[in-house]
Amino acid sequence: MKKSEYKDIWVYIEHDGKKAQSVSLELCCEARKLCDASGEMLVAVIVGKLSEEEREKVVSCGVDRLLCVCGTGFEPFSVDAYTELFTVLCRKYKPSAVLVGGTIDGRDFAPRFACRLPTGCTSDATQLVYDTKTGDIEFIEPAVGGKMMAVITVPVMRPQVGTIRPGTFKYQPIGARAFEIREEHFDFPPEKIRTKVIGFLPDELDETLNIADAEYIVCVGNGLKGADTLPRYRELAELLGGKLACTRPVFDRGVLPYKLVIGQSGVVVKPKIYLAFGVSGAVNHVTGILDSDVIVAVNKDPDAAIFGYCTYGIVGDMDEICDALIAELKARH
Amino acid sequence: MLNILVCVKQVPDVNLVKIDPATGSLIRAGVPAILNPLDANALEAAVQIKERYSGTVSVITMGPDQAAEALRECLAAGADRAILLSDRAFANADTLATSYVIAKAAEMIGGFDLIFCGKESLDGATGQMASQLAERFDASLLSSVKRVLSVNEREKVVMAEREYTNGTQTASAIMPCLMTVEKTNYHPRIPNLKSWKASRTAPIERYTSETIPGLDRAQIGDPGSPTKVPRTYPLEKGPGGKMIREGSAAKDAAKLLDLVADLI
Repeated sequence: MKKSEYKDIWVYIEHDGKKAQSVSLELCCEARKLCDASGEMLVAVIVGKLSEEEREKVVSCGVDRLLCVCGTGFEPFSVDAYTELFTVLCRKYKPSAVLVGGTIDGRDFAPRFACRLPTGCTSDATQLVYDTKTGDIEFIEPAVGGKMMAVITVPVMRPQVGTIRPGTFKYQPIGARAFEIREEHFDFPPEKIRTKVIGFLPDELDETLNIADAEYIVCVGNGLKGADTLPRYRELAELLGGKLACTRPVFDRGVLPYKLVIGQSGVVVKPKIYLAFGVSGAVNHVTGILDSDVIVAVNKDPDAAIFGYCTYGIVGDMDEICDALIAELKARH
Repeated sequence: MLNILVCVKQVPDVNLVKIDPATGSLIRAGVPAILNPLDANALEAAVQIKERYSGTVSVITMGPDQAAEALRECLAAGADRAILLSDRAFANADTLATSYVIAKAAEMIGGFDLIFCGKESLDGATGQMASQLAERFDASLLSSVKRVLSVNEREKVVMAEREYTNGTQTASAIMPCLMTVEKTNYHPRIPNLKSWKASRTAPIERYTSETIPGLDRAQIGDPGSPTKVPRTYPLEKGPGGKMIREGSAAKDAAKLLDLVADLI
């Protein structure tokens, strides 16, 4: 494989016809920076029909080319069709990298087409850096439960495939530039699609589980003594007009649902005040809270990493501090 | 008779792994290796299917000799057959090389109707093994399965409920089908003393790169792994914030609320 034959960074634009997924736009903005460093073109790959308005949003991220794919077999999403499509497209156009949003569908098909090509696939990078010496992208991500950072590269094979979680990068469009449109027709035979969607039942809208836009967040970490100690944290969240959330280990313990997990493998939040109780500060959690206006950390371990990221820190028993905050808030109301 | 395979991994308990502050490297000594927690949910789903429809559940793993312990745990919890793929030549494999070896070994021991995997591992946590295994097995893929609704052996169709964006999707798939399992409904069973004892002495089938037929050496271990980890580095400690030390929980709380008063 000659690396030099592979050019341009692709971003797959996941959409439902009406709206492009925000993660796809975030990736376009980040990939723009990579392309500026590498001198490659930023190519947005759109499969099926997307409204003009939404296409403009994509273009505004500084896209150099839209690769628009039409054809049958791509609606609704199936792993079989999208795996084959991206295998065919990558063989034909030879992109140097393909970035895919780490959504449920994205995580299903991206590693699979990487396997079919075959090439290397990374997931959940939190930083992307173009190495001018090697021409490789460094996919940098927390490793070993967030205790260290690992640099992952695909030094020989192309394209470099990566899935990236929603919210990892910012949607900061730099504005449209001159771009070209290339159209590609590809049909996937329906009889080759091995999965069929039979029904969909939307979750009942439970507002307490929607933490992404909360202005105040009370987050409990692995220091939590048990489920029986949860009510005070819920009460504190309610008094602040905010939401209760947790770190990954609390979900692993079965105490709170996955939708409340903040961090690299959960939700990225940006509240006015984020209060961490018994949170150690593993980086895969911290990456999800750095945009908070104020970070308050309460931990009994004075050496806990979370104190390195906080605005205000209190060393002490999490339950006691929580109770004291509840009492003080009630007294001030 | 359904032929069911569960792919598992033995992982270090990452919550107990510490970093040497001087060198920035991992201190692995004394850290227990455990069955990847989410793999236990996948095994439970497989065993429940076996109990409902009849069949056999095989568990397979790639890893060092000690990984046999994770397989014994699976045997105690309802698996019938255990396969360990162990060889120095398999070391430093990424998901592409690992999925290749597992699929090649599975091909040797017999075709499977259903393959189960945990959603992700505690250590690597790429969450992409299942997708690549499905490719290697040429199987359909249903990820994030909350509940397997039915398995129609005659029609070769499985139906399941999946966790999907903001809701539950019901989907069917043609077998062979690979499923990754959510932890919601398939809580691992606690083995009884009898099955635990039996698992201690049960045979573990072992294979190496020499005994798996047709293995292409260029596709295994480090040479077969397109992703590399050129370096790791310890996290830089953040600059740190203002510590509140007023002498009591009540005073600390009051001080904090004073400090953030304009934000509330």
